[in-house]
Amino acid sequence: MPETTDQRLLAEAESSWLQTRGRKILLVDDERLNRSILRKILEPEGYVLEEADSAEAALAQYDSFAPDLVLFDVLLPGMNGFDACRELHRRYGEQAATVVFITAKQDSGAIVEGFNAGGVDYVLKPFRQKEVVARIHTHLQIRLLFAHQLTLVTQLSRANAAKTRFLSMAAHDLRNPLATIRGLSEFLLDGTVGPLTPEQAELVELIHNTSQGMVTLVNDLLDLATIESGEFKLDSAPTRLADLVGQSVNLTAMASTRKRTRIEFERGPDAPLIRVDATKARQVIDNLLSNAVKYSPPGSTIRVALEVDAGTNSQILRVFDQGPGIPEQERDRLFTDFGRLSTRTTGGEQSIGLGLAICRKIVESHHGTIEAVNQLDGGCEFCVTFPNLIT
Amino acid sequence: MNLFEKALIVDDEYHIRKYMGLVLRSMGVTTICEASNGAEGVVAYLSEQPDLVLLDVNMPVMDGIEALLEIRSLNAEASIVMLTSIATRNTIEQAVDGGALHYIRKDTPRDELIALLSGLLMEKNQAVS
Repeated sequence: MPETTDQRLLAEAESSWLQTRGRKILLVDDERLNRSILRKILEPEGYVLEEADSAEAALAQYDSFAPDLVLFDVLLPGMNGFDACRELHRRYGEQAATVVFITAKQDSGAIVEGFNAGGVDYVLKPFRQKEVVARIHTHLQIRLLFAHQLTLVTQLSRANAAKTRFLSMAAHDLRNPLATIRGLSEFLLDGTVGPLTPEQAELVELIHNTSQGMVTLVNDLLDLATIESGEFKLDSAPTRLADLVGQSVNLTAMASTRKRTRIEFERGPDAPLIRVDATKARQVIDNLLSNAVKYSPPGSTIRVALEVDAGTNSQILRVFDQGPGIPEQERDRLFTDFGRLSTRTTGGEQSIGLGLAICRKIVESHHGTIEAVNQLDGGCEFCVTFPNLIT
Repeated sequence: MNLFEKALIVDDEYHIRKYMGLVLRSMGVTTICEASNGAEGVVAYLSEQPDLVLLDVNMPVMDGIEALLEIRSLNAEASIVMLTSIATRNTIEQAVDGGALHYIRKDTPRDELIALLSGLLMEKNQAVS
């Protein structure tokens, strides 16, 4: 049976990757005696050691030895330890070995300069052996952890990208056949290919509604995959938001006649054009309206309002439904992927909880905001603000 | 008068050919021919001389863009509508540059599909008469 990533990581953690034995340390001190004391302390810990008697020699040795940690004396003939540390960081950036200073200079100014130069710690001479061993062990572990995190993040983002690609491929291959099923059932329903008995019509209608639901679902998944893969691009142009809202209101009203839902749109005085991606903005509006219908009881009235903020010239869309509102403890999940709440639709409509996540991503890519507020007299208000960035 | 009596549907998937055939029939197209890749599509275009071609983009043997260019080189007036699964900007540009009347996503809802195609054909009819 193949191991899961979790199991493998656990096994690795227990065995090797926090193991500091075999790590390489460069000892830089101009006093031979100091170097040999350090060697005597550190060798039993299983470290691989090399010595240098000056900063220049250390820098020359650095590439071929490739140490994990450099123990730098500060006061050296020629270049001092601080300058050598700065040089290491200049050359190798984030890849540079961990630097620990070891010196008799104990004024706080020198300590601060050491940290500023890129050192991570400071051991004072005369040093206690156990302290040196413990500090070095700790810093090597931090380094290993850091490297491990980096590998993990890279692996995870690769895995996530692969998942997104897979999702998008699978969804693409599902979409056309589903659309065909939906279209063919419409031809059956409207009698193009001959009359149906009432029972046949009922079954075909079920096929139609189910395939319609699946098309919506697949499209939501594809939208999410596009957003996640970073292929999501806005195609913005000056747009009259009220026209988009008007189209969406008409369409949603038509689709919700069976539920006897009324949609009232207060169009207000004509707002100026605003730069948005019309298709994507329309998707947000459609989604908010269809949600409002989904979660309001049959015969409800949905109110839609569009305002211009006099101060910022932002345009604000408000959708008021007559649904049960958002349970306080589930509020955090509202705009997240698959964050469907415990609230049920009132006409058997389907939802997989991607609509609002997609809305949020579209609105945020317009530098806008989306929020939901429960109203005191019941129902919920969804409020989307599109900022007026360029006029 | 409807100048579009005969149509050719080129797609490698049977269900798309069948469905698009019904769409066209419901618009008054009387004769429907089918081909399942670009190369077959070009051959069928020559033998059938259809008034309208629905052409898929991704197909084996010869893809839709290649077939589009081939058919347009045979008849610079050919009315061709591209069918796509994913309307990437690149595909749309290639289709428009190649002289396609329009590009339509296959998952477009049926009524929208009929409205779009009828609109295109009406325009084309008016331009001819």
